[in-house]
Amino acid sequence: MSNTTSDDSLITTEVQTESNDESAPPAGAGTAVAARDLNVYYGDEQAIDDVSMEIPEKRVTALIGPSGCGKSTFLRTINRMNDMIEICRVDGEVEFGGKNVYDDDVDPVALRRKIGMVFQKPNPFPKSIRDNVAYGLKIQGFDGDVDARVEESLKGAALWDEVKDQLDSSGLELSGGQQQRLCIARAIAPDPEVILMDEPTSALDPVAASKIEDLIDDLAEEYTVIIVTHNMQQAARISDRTAVFLTGGELVEYDDTAKIFEDPEEQRVEDYITGKFG
Amino acid sequence: MATDNANADGFGEVSRVRGIVFEYLSLGASVFGLVALGVLLVYVSIDAFDLANASPVWLLTYFLTLVVPFLAFCLYSANDPAVTRRALGVLGGGLVAVAAVFTAIETLLVPIPRLNWQLAYLFVVGAPVTAYLTYVGSGERVGAVGFGFLGRLLGGAALGLAVGTLFLVFDSLVWFLAYTLGVVPAVALYAFGSARSVPQAQTAALPAGLLGVVAAVFLRGVVPTYPSDLLIYLWTIAIPVAAAGAFAVAERRGRTAAAVVAGVPLALAAAGGFAAAGAGLPAPTVLLVLVLTGVPTAVYVSRVVDAGEGLVGFALPVLLVGGVVAGALIVEALGVPAPDPWLDPSFLTEAPSQTPTEAGLYPAIVGSVIIIAMVAVLSFALGVGTSVFLEEYTPGSGPLGTLTRIIQVNVANLAAVPSVVYGLLGLGLFANLLGLGIGTAVTAALTLSLLILPITIISAQEAIRSVPDDLRRGSDAMGATRWQTTKNVVLPEAMPGILTGTILALGRAIGETAPLIMIGAATTVFRAPDSLFSRFSAMPMQIYVWAGFPQADFRYGVVAAGVITLLIILVGMNGTAILLRNRAERGN
Repeated sequence: MSNTTSDDSLITTEVQTESNDESAPPAGAGTAVAARDLNVYYGDEQAIDDVSMEIPEKRVTALIGPSGCGKSTFLRTINRMNDMIEICRVDGEVEFGGKNVYDDDVDPVALRRKIGMVFQKPNPFPKSIRDNVAYGLKIQGFDGDVDARVEESLKGAALWDEVKDQLDSSGLELSGGQQQRLCIARAIAPDPEVILMDEPTSALDPVAASKIEDLIDDLAEEYTVIIVTHNMQQAARISDRTAVFLTGGELVEYDDTAKIFEDPEEQRVEDYITGKFG
Repeated sequence: MATDNANADGFGEVSRVRGIVFEYLSLGASVFGLVALGVLLVYVSIDAFDLANASPVWLLTYFLTLVVPFLAFCLYSANDPAVTRRALGVLGGGLVAVAAVFTAIETLLVPIPRLNWQLAYLFVVGAPVTAYLTYVGSGERVGAVGFGFLGRLLGGAALGLAVGTLFLVFDSLVWFLAYTLGVVPAVALYAFGSARSVPQAQTAALPAGLLGVVAAVFLRGVVPTYPSDLLIYLWTIAIPVAAAGAFAVAERRGRTAAAVVAGVPLALAAAGGFAAAGAGLPAPTVLLVLVLTGVPTAVYVSRVVDAGEGLVGFALPVLLVGGVVAGALIVEALGVPAPDPWLDPSFLTEAPSQTPTEAGLYPAIVGSVIIIAMVAVLSFALGVGTSVFLEEYTPGSGPLGTLTRIIQVNVANLAAVPSVVYGLLGLGLFANLLGLGIGTAVTAALTLSLLILPITIISAQEAIRSVPDDLRRGSDAMGATRWQTTKNVVLPEAMPGILTGTILALGRAIGETAPLIMIGAATTVFRAPDSLFSRFSAMPMQIYVWAGFPQADFRYGVVAAGVITLLIILVGMNGTAILLRNRAERGN
């Protein structure tokens, strides 16, 4: 089953032309992240079941599925945040930048410096807005113009105009939606290649969420965005590609977003999307 | 509707009796300890300041010249008619009520020893009202300026005295070399690196500094001549403090203002130091007190003048000093007999004596201050280190996890080990086995550090554990190493909690007597300790010995003066630490 889907995805990646994002780069973009025969276990429980998929670069790829289907786990295998969970065990390969990130000679800390991550709950550090954005630069020993990079990142996160006069006030004084955009600015400041987003709008009100959605659209011009979401309308609106995970960590279908939402191959996917299941 | 009929008599009543009983029982429980301690403090203060012999006229004079103007200042600052009405009501009504109740108790029940109704009024009404109005007044601009100004004057002086005391023991020559060879080059390298964006210089700063400090220790015996103590303090403490003050002002006001704010106090302090040296006074201490008082005060004044609000507040110190002087003049003119307090300047500067009137606490104060300074540094460093390791670096499962849990349980148990047992440990381990000497300051400091270490560790662990995991994950996902996450995110966020625990633990350490007796600390020494390895006494030891003297003057007057001194130093120390903690909290 998963083999067929991955074959599918290989083909469709090549012919990816459909994109509702008019500013998207030309078709035929390369692969940013690829999973091969990936299995993840928490103790005895299997969270990801033999997943293979290739995620195109400079596109938005959405991972959807019911709770506990392994989509967040899959996201965290990419930057090896699962290493923090002691009982977690990973089999198979995740290729990023031409390298299996689970190879012995890969330093997970160095890997995470190339991959930004935004979490479900906004988690700005209890520091000033400037220090929040400059955090990644600081820990990576960036020796260029920090202030310029902070400004650029805040503009990239569509937050600059709202905070440019209060860069020294605490990041916690911002509203929830602003905090989440601050976290996005923090994630893009060190100029990563991929940005992982784990349900970035589920803790926000609809207006703040729609700002983040617009932002994700823009981010895809420069970065590969992989987003986990519970909200199917959101996936349909913002993503170029959609992967549907179902219970047990099985990747059921992975295709262009339009195809998934209009004419899915799998009955189970159709049931899930139309709300009969999940 | 049907429900209308059912509720025609309202909705019935729900009993709250149990809740109300519980509320008042809780109130009683929380007030009980405070009241008991309050009564003790009242008697101790009466003894220490000989207030029992104060005539009502004397009390009234100072009440009018000192307390009333101070309260008026607070009320002026609060600028709230309701507060003024309430305060006047309590002061006036309290006078009648206290006098009536006091007289009633004395005539109908039992005579109350060593108190009269005027004193009772002072403690029961005067002190709480003053405290409340101080709190209310300091919340507004004028009061904030007044208390900020006063606090910097007093705090700077206390800090200067404390630093001067520490240098009685620590070798100022090593400090001179370490500062010149280690601190100065390290700071210079770092500043150069920041200014010119040379990260290598910044990285090299710490090793260079450490190298300089190590070199200083070795060169101590080699270098033949040193500048005088006064010049050493001028170079190593006064100038950097002034520079820091200048830096703080320069950002806001520009260079001229910075030069004035830092230069004037520095020049005054240097002049004062040299004058004191000429007059045979302890010149380095004079210099330290002047510079540590002058620079922060000048910075503060410059800031307040810039803000331009509440300038009247600067009158507060004048008001208080004026009140004392006026009171003294009136008392002198009227020929009112003044009380003869046990706690007077000579008590703080003299050595113990067999005669109560000549007895002093100076060597024990120095001993306590030195020990507490060392305990603070040691227990903070060890406590934070241990708790960071236990919370951040050990896994939760597997054999290492089990080991961690065993350590955790044992640390908790250690907190319950009686202090006399720690004394035995200190005697065996530090005094005898390591040969640090029986009854020396360094043995005492190590023993007391061990004693409070479990408390510091447990509270620091709690503080670290309460840092949300979201923040750690956020930092990890940015590609921070565990050390970077700990240093940049976890520790700054946990620091207020860690400091709270350490402050509480230090309060316990400063009052400990049993372990000091076990390690053979002297009960009475007549000279202040002059090195880490000299015999010392501490305040609680000295108080304990005095309490056993046969003369009543010792058991009441001198002991009371000692207790008040101990409490004032404890409160001063905790107050400083709490200010630092609040600043750390605001920094976030």
